[in-house]
Amino acid sequence: MNNLLRYIIGRTLLTIPMIFILLSIIFVVVRVMPGDPVSSMLGGHAPEKVIEQKKEELGLNKPMILQYGNYLLQICRLDLGNSMIFKQRVIDAIREKLPATIELTFFGMLITLLVGVPLGAFAADKRRSAQDYSIRLFGIVIYCIPVYWLGLMLQMIFGIWLDLFPIAGRTGARVFVAGFDWSGLYVLDTIVAKDFTAFKDVIIHLVLPSVTLGLVLSGIFIRLTRANMLDVLKSDYILAAEARGIRHRRVVYKHALLNAFVPILTMMGLQVAILMAGAVLTETTFSWPGMGRLLLERIYLRDYPTIQGVIVVFALIVALVSLVVDIIYALVDPRVRY
Amino acid sequence: MKAMKIILICLATAGLIFFAGNSFAKVTLVYGTTEKVTDMDPANAYDFHTWEIFYNIYQGLMGYPPGKTNLVPGLAESYKVVDDGKGYIFKLKEGIKFSDGTPFDANAVKWSIDRIIRIAGDPSWLVTDFVDSVEVLDKYSVKFNLKNPVAYFPSLVATVPYYPVNPNIYPADKIVQDPAALKGGKLVGLGPYRVAFFKRDQEIALEANPYFYGEKPKNDMVIIRYFADATTMRLALEKGELDFAFKSFNPSDINDLQKSDKIQTIVGQGPYIRYLCFQCKTPPFDNKIVRQGIAAAINRPDIIKKVFLGQNAPLYSMVPMGMWTHTDNFKEVFGDGNIEKSKKLLAQAGFNEDNKLKFEFWYTPSHYGDTEVDMAAVLKAQFEATGVMEVSVKSAEWATYKDNWRNQLMPVYLLGWYPDYIDPDNYTAAFAGTAGSKGNGIYFSDPEWDAMFVEEQKDPNEDNREAIFKKIQQMWTDEVPTAPIFQGTLYMFAQKSINGIMISPTLQFIYAPIEKAE
Repeated sequence: MNNLLRYIIGRTLLTIPMIFILLSIIFVVVRVMPGDPVSSMLGGHAPEKVIEQKKEELGLNKPMILQYGNYLLQICRLDLGNSMIFKQRVIDAIREKLPATIELTFFGMLITLLVGVPLGAFAADKRRSAQDYSIRLFGIVIYCIPVYWLGLMLQMIFGIWLDLFPIAGRTGARVFVAGFDWSGLYVLDTIVAKDFTAFKDVIIHLVLPSVTLGLVLSGIFIRLTRANMLDVLKSDYILAAEARGIRHRRVVYKHALLNAFVPILTMMGLQVAILMAGAVLTETTFSWPGMGRLLLERIYLRDYPTIQGVIVVFALIVALVSLVVDIIYALVDPRVRY
Repeated sequence: MKAMKIILICLATAGLIFFAGNSFAKVTLVYGTTEKVTDMDPANAYDFHTWEIFYNIYQGLMGYPPGKTNLVPGLAESYKVVDDGKGYIFKLKEGIKFSDGTPFDANAVKWSIDRIIRIAGDPSWLVTDFVDSVEVLDKYSVKFNLKNPVAYFPSLVATVPYYPVNPNIYPADKIVQDPAALKGGKLVGLGPYRVAFFKRDQEIALEANPYFYGEKPKNDMVIIRYFADATTMRLALEKGELDFAFKSFNPSDINDLQKSDKIQTIVGQGPYIRYLCFQCKTPPFDNKIVRQGIAAAINRPDIIKKVFLGQNAPLYSMVPMGMWTHTDNFKEVFGDGNIEKSKKLLAQAGFNEDNKLKFEFWYTPSHYGDTEVDMAAVLKAQFEATGVMEVSVKSAEWATYKDNWRNQLMPVYLLGWYPDYIDPDNYTAAFAGTAGSKGNGIYFSDPEWDAMFVEEQKDPNEDNREAIFKKIQQMWTDEVPTAPIFQGTLYMFAQKSINGIMISPTLQFIYAPIEKAE
């Protein structure tokens, strides 16, 4: 068995206890939250019989250890239970909303990388120049701005004043979603359906939310890329490349940037969790029908099974992305697998 | 450089796609709402928006022309009253087909009514309170045997629970939530439209039904887009993405849109009412003095000014203003924000500053628009201004709200009413008759009241009925099973190019006459 395969298997096995710990924390946190879910749902006037019936329905009358066992078993079967408020399975609600969040976070990350990495590399190249200071300042300021405030500002400027982009929803009201909706990933669906009018509409609806999400996180990537680039640019092989007469731009943006990219890759994995958290606020600001809005709506309604289900899915996604990033890391940097 | 070229090619392709134009080929209307569809089943749906869709995809034996209040035959050709008013025979039109091509006959009518009775869903009382049985006389004749003579039975037949459904499609004893649960997965009706696409809370597309027996709609398709909030819906309308939008706008948006040059306003002056309900079997609300005390504290003009920016009218009877028999009894007996009277009444029931009346007051944030939370807050402040009440405000999503009132978990709660049929009976028996009251979670029951309802229902003489309704409205201020708050005005906004929108006085909204000017 070669080293890479051994590494992948080892890393995958390590994910199992990681997920187990995450699920256990979620179970405990949801149950130690103040307030009894049944009382908050039924109010103080509910007869004991109705309370007991509801507790039995939700499995809350069983000993905690049994509840925990059932909870883990249910998750293994991809069954997240039923909503306390709506007559709906939690997994169905999540299945409906998850593609919207995946699409938003994917494009958010794309914006983060498109803005953060080139600006960081440029700042490193122009070290201690006016451009460098401006970019560093931009990186700090943009990271400090609350995501919902930035969203509101972009909505006001580009949506209301300039009327360039829509400020809410995934599609315009005149787009017939039934014509292409297949996976819920509308960008992909419209391409598969060759519905380019809808594709255009989906893209323009993605601009402001993904820019909002992406810009805030780009601050970290600017600083990270700049710091790594500065280290790499001091290397002997960069000096050698310049001495061989390779164009400066090629040396910086190809040779140096590729070498500085490995820590950025790790950071991408870590940032997915922050991106998900940012999605909750971005989705609310832009009326984006995704998991973030679902979570917020259900917190408001105290729909505990759905809250738990959404957090479980978020945790699983973060664990999965960490695994994928680590595998890519091993592929890119052979030192990791030895 | 290679990467740069690829990016440029991608951008150029995206640009080409971006500027490629397209539009709906047919006359398609896009309609926005913040409402939600409940069960796509006449056996259990009992809310304004779902019924609105049913008015467009189903048909009754009797019906109202768009924008009118005169009852006309629908699927029926004619009817006659037999057995001294206890029997109605409807002769059906021949040659009518469901939207999948299945022929419609009297068996479908009987099967549908029997199904409503069997399932006993939320609106079933509109059938079970009146109908004893249904008989098929021949392929196109059906007889309704009533429990008692009912003077306005043809109006009842025009309500949704009486709409025939296709027996081959609907399950006989189960409620259908989504069309996907139907046999064949498609909703089949008899109305001018059929459902082409259904995605809950996102989009419903209705296309013209090719088998419809009546006049063809003036549009080919209506796409209903569901909005999570009123502000986003307003923006979509202003940007021209929606042809029209209805229910529910925020009061400030209504004021702004009414001033817009690009948007037209359609006002529905209908008998839509809002009121406070008491669970009359739950202590201390089983004591009518307590109910009276709470009713006296309500300050209607204050609610209308603070929450609705003056857009609704205070209501002092459950029978709406403009409807015959209406009297302002609550104004005469309690007035508005009558703190002294409220304190006095509650003192009689044993409550004072040292022993406050503590209760949970419920509202639903997902059924009556974004203003509901504000209305609950203003009412709480009004109750607590007496100094003898301590109110804890609670909320529940509509489906849970309905379960809660069935299970008698909400002692005091807010509800609203759109008429099933235009008659004072629908505003009184539905809340104070034993069966109707139970259906709304009020659980008020009094044999004297029930006898009065039976009396007015069977009496064809309007003067006699008026006397009964006036007495009932007077008695309402004594028993207070509910307390009226305001009568609403419905606002619809549309692009200037849209013609033919009508909200009828019965609050039915029919899509077929709506057309778009070129």
